[in-house]
Amino acid sequence: MTAFLLLLRKDLRLLVRSPIVVAVLIGYPLLVAFLVSSALQSEERRPAIAVVNLDTAGRTVQVGDRRLSVDDYLNRLDDDVDLKRLGADSATRELDAGRVSAVLTIPAGFIGDLQSGVRQPALRLVTSRRSPIEGQAVTRRLEAAVYRFNQGLAATYVQQVVRLVDLVVNGGQLGFFGRSGDALGLVRTRVLVVDLQRRLAASGATADTARLEQIVNFIDETQSNLDLARPAAASIANPIALQTATGASGREPLSAFGVAGALLVSLALVGVLIAAAGVAAEREENTLVRLRRGLVSVPAIIAEKIVFAALTCVVVGAALLVAVAGLTDLAVGRWGLWLPVLVLSGLAFGAFGALVGAAARETRTALLAALMLALPLVFVGLIPGDTVALVARVVPFGPAFSAFRTLLAEPNLPGGLVADLSLLGGLAAALAVAASLLLSRQKAL
Amino acid sequence: MTGHASPLLEATGLVRRYRGLVALDGVGLTLVAGEAVALLGANGAGKTTLLEVLAGIRRAHEGTLVWSYPDGSTGPAVGWVPQRPSLYARLTTRENLRLFAALERRPQPRIVADELLEKADLVGVADRPAAQLSTGTRQRLNLAIALAGEPRALLLDEPSATLSPDQRHRLWTWLAELRREGMALVFATQSVDEAARQADRTLVLARGRRVFSGTIAELIARHPSDPASAGDPGERAFLALIDDPAVAAP
Repeated sequence: MTAFLLLLRKDLRLLVRSPIVVAVLIGYPLLVAFLVSSALQSEERRPAIAVVNLDTAGRTVQVGDRRLSVDDYLNRLDDDVDLKRLGADSATRELDAGRVSAVLTIPAGFIGDLQSGVRQPALRLVTSRRSPIEGQAVTRRLEAAVYRFNQGLAATYVQQVVRLVDLVVNGGQLGFFGRSGDALGLVRTRVLVVDLQRRLAASGATADTARLEQIVNFIDETQSNLDLARPAAASIANPIALQTATGASGREPLSAFGVAGALLVSLALVGVLIAAAGVAAEREENTLVRLRRGLVSVPAIIAEKIVFAALTCVVVGAALLVAVAGLTDLAVGRWGLWLPVLVLSGLAFGAFGALVGAAARETRTALLAALMLALPLVFVGLIPGDTVALVARVVPFGPAFSAFRTLLAEPNLPGGLVADLSLLGGLAAALAVAASLLLSRQKAL
Repeated sequence: MTGHASPLLEATGLVRRYRGLVALDGVGLTLVAGEAVALLGANGAGKTTLLEVLAGIRRAHEGTLVWSYPDGSTGPAVGWVPQRPSLYARLTTRENLRLFAALERRPQPRIVADELLEKADLVGVADRPAAQLSTGTRQRLNLAIALAGEPRALLLDEPSATLSPDQRHRLWTWLAELRREGMALVFATQSVDEAARQADRTLVLARGRRVFSGTIAELIARHPSDPASAGDPGERAFLALIDDPAVAAP
C-alpha cells in the first residue's frame, strides 16, 4: 500500500473513530440545508389573507347558463392565497397583529352590481404596513386573480352575445337575461318575405313587390354583417391566447436555488474545514516533520488531505441529495452527473482548506481562519451581480454553486456545466500547488 | 565506544541560514557505529538545526554530509526523535507503530510493530490511544517509532527534557542497549551531567559554531575552576567556555 493510501486509511480510521464528528458532518449540513432551503423558499408560501364578505343579499349571479356566487369567487382565490373568512373587526385585528398580510373586503351589493352591470363592482384590499414587500406580493397575486376572473366573466358574456346573434340570424327559443319565447330570426324572416313578394308579384302588385325587395336586401346585408360579428366577438373575448406547457416534472426554480445554496454552504464548510484541520493537525501532532523525512512528499500529503475532504464531500453531498429527493418534490435527477460535480467541488473545497491549513500553525487557528475566509466567499458565490461574480469565479464556491444549480434547475444540459467543472478542476490544482509550496516552506512546530 | 574503523557519518563545514541569520556556521561532525555524541549548548546555539540537517529535514546551504554503512549502502538511515513526540494521539500505540512501519516500507509492518512493542516495553499499553499515555511512555513510543525504519543511527532532540528521573533512567537504559547493538546516537541536551554520563564525546555549540569537541573531562581540564566554587565542575567549565569573549563574540 502506498504512503498516500496509508495516510488516507489513517484519516478515515480517525474520522470513523469520532462518532460526534461523523454526526456533526452529517447532521450539520442537513440542518444548514433545511435552514437555507427554508429561507430561500419562503417567497413561495401562500400569503394569509383575511376575507370580509359584506354582501349578504343577492349571493348569486346568473351569467349565461352558469350561476356564480361569492363563494365561487373566493374558492378561485383560494388557489393563490390562504384565505381566512373573518368579520370586519377580527380581520382588522389580525392585520394589525401581523397574522394576515392583507384584508380583502367584498362590499355589500357586489353580486348585485355584477348582475346589473350598471355599476362596476369593486373589491377592497388593505395590505399590511408591517411588510411592504409581502403587501406588494399579495397585491400582485390578487390583481392577477381578479384579471383571470374578469377574463372568465368576459368570455361568458361574449358567448351570450354570440348566442344572441345566432338567435337574431337563425331564430329559436329565447332563454337568457330573464326572457323566454320564440324568436323568428333573419333567415326565416327572409323566407317569409320572399314568399310574400312572390305572391304579390303574381297578383300584379308591382309596387309592393319592389318595396319588399328593399326588406330582403336589408335582411341579406344584416345577416352578412352578423356573420362577421361572431369571430370578431370571439377575438374580443380572447385578444391574445397564451399556450402553456409544463416543464420537467416537479422542477421548482426557487427550490432548486435553495437546495443548490444549501449544498454549497454544507459541502464548502465540510470540505474546507476537513482539509484545513487535516493539514494543520499533521503539524500540531508534530508528525509532519517525520513524514517529510522521505516517508511522504509534501505534495502527496496535501493531495491526501484534499482527496480525503473530497471523499467526505461526496458522501455528505449524496446523503443530502437523497434527503432532497425523498423529502421534496424537487427532481434531483442525473445521478451520473452528480458524481463528477461532487468530486470536483470537493477537491476544490479541499484544496482551499489545505491552503489555509498549510498557512496555520495550529488546528484551532486553521479552523477559525478557514471559517472566516470561506463563509464570506461562499455567500459571495450565492449573490448574483457582476462585481461579486468576478470574486466568486476565482474561488471554488462560484463555479460549484453554478454547477449545482445547473443540475437542479436546467431542463437541458448547458455547455456552462463543462466550463464550471473545468474551472473547478483548475482551481483545485492551482490551490493544491500553492498549499504544497507553502507547506514546504513552513517550519514544523 | 569510539575508535571503530569507518565512520557512519562524515559532515564538514555545514552552514544553514534563516532569513540572513546564520544558524549553523561551518560545523563538522563524524560518527561511528555505537558511538554517542552529545550536542551541548544554550538555547538558539544551533543544536536542533544541526540535528535537522543531519536528519535530512533541512538542507545545508553549504558543506558536505555523507552517510555510509558497512554494507556499502548510503543515505540517511537515521531515526529521528524530536523533542516533542511525533505521533498520532488518537491512534493506539500499536496502530502508530504499524502505520510508521508501513510508511518505512517494512515488509511485515504488523510483525515489526509487535517486536517494537516488546523492545520498548509498550505491550501493556499497545491498544491504548497515544493521547492517554504518560509523558515517559509517549517518549518511549516516540523512540520506538523512530526505530521502525531500522536506522543505523538515532538523532534525538533533548529526549529527556520533559521526563521524570525514573523515566529518564528507563530511557537511557534502553538507549544503552541499543548502543550495545551498534546503534550510533547524536543527542541534543542542555545538561552537562547528561552529556558526561551518556556520551562518548560532546560538541559544544555557540552561535551556530562548534566551540568545543571532546569529553566533559577534557572540557573541565581546559577550563579549570576553583573546586570550592558552587555547582558542578562540568557546568562551571561549560559556562566558562561560552562566556569566553572569543566564543561569545558575534
